[in-house]
Amino acid sequence: MGEVVIEETRIVEEPAESRGGVWGFITYWGLHAWVLAYTVVMLSAFFIQFVKGEFPCPLCMLQRYGMILATLGALFIIMQARRGQLTTARYAQGLGLGLIGVLAGASVSVRQIELHILPGDPGYGEPFLRLHLYTWAFVTFAIVMIYVGLMLILMPRGIPHAPAAGSAARKVSTAIIWMFIGVVAANVIAIIFLEGFAPVLPDDPSGYTLIDQIKGR
Amino acid sequence: MILLLAIALLIWRGAKRGLILTLWFVGLAAMIGLFRFHVTSVLDLSF
Repeated sequence: MGEVVIEETRIVEEPAESRGGVWGFITYWGLHAWVLAYTVVMLSAFFIQFVKGEFPCPLCMLQRYGMILATLGALFIIMQARRGQLTTARYAQGLGLGLIGVLAGASVSVRQIELHILPGDPGYGEPFLRLHLYTWAFVTFAIVMIYVGLMLILMPRGIPHAPAAGSAARKVSTAIIWMFIGVVAANVIAIIFLEGFAPVLPDDPSGYTLIDQIKGR
Repeated sequence: MILLLAIALLIWRGAKRGLILTLWFVGLAAMIGLFRFHVTSVLDLSF
């Protein structure tokens, strides 16, 4: 009777504190770049909404939703790293959240691109650098997909390593995180004004429904 | 969107991983539900 060999599966749960170095630095700040980039993208969307007076359609809001959902994965990894609790498994979980989030957002972008794909269709809203915002949204989702793929290739060498508590770098990290949380909170307020007392956004919004409802229009 | 804000704050405060992951998947399900609600027409495309 042959010998049965059982392969040992090791669950990677060791704290990643011993890692770091250049790759740990790059991946940690790469995640901040992700958070900051989507914060700036959503601030730009606010600029177009409030300054240029273009109201976001439901698909536009769902793309913002996808951006936030994905960025929560990055935020999850950053906070685990800051607490010294980041393991390879938790890092993979955060990247997984990010990847599914961008896939969900990209699905919405593709749907909106297809809505306006026919020749002669002017598209929704004003284009920016020759592309409409939903096309740019798809580009950002694709970039994050590539980023997550690269981070998975680099793992475990590139486990993010947080700077020491109280350092200037930690304060920069905190500022970026709170900018993101602030933008998410602003989106909550914006969507309340856009929806009013309705449970969902109107298909083609032309104003702030809540204000109209309060004024009895 | 309120749920996403709550998840962000929970991540910041260091809530339990299981709670964060569960709420995140609830958020994803809500997004898929909203997408399903808003997308009602079939695209009239032919190539």
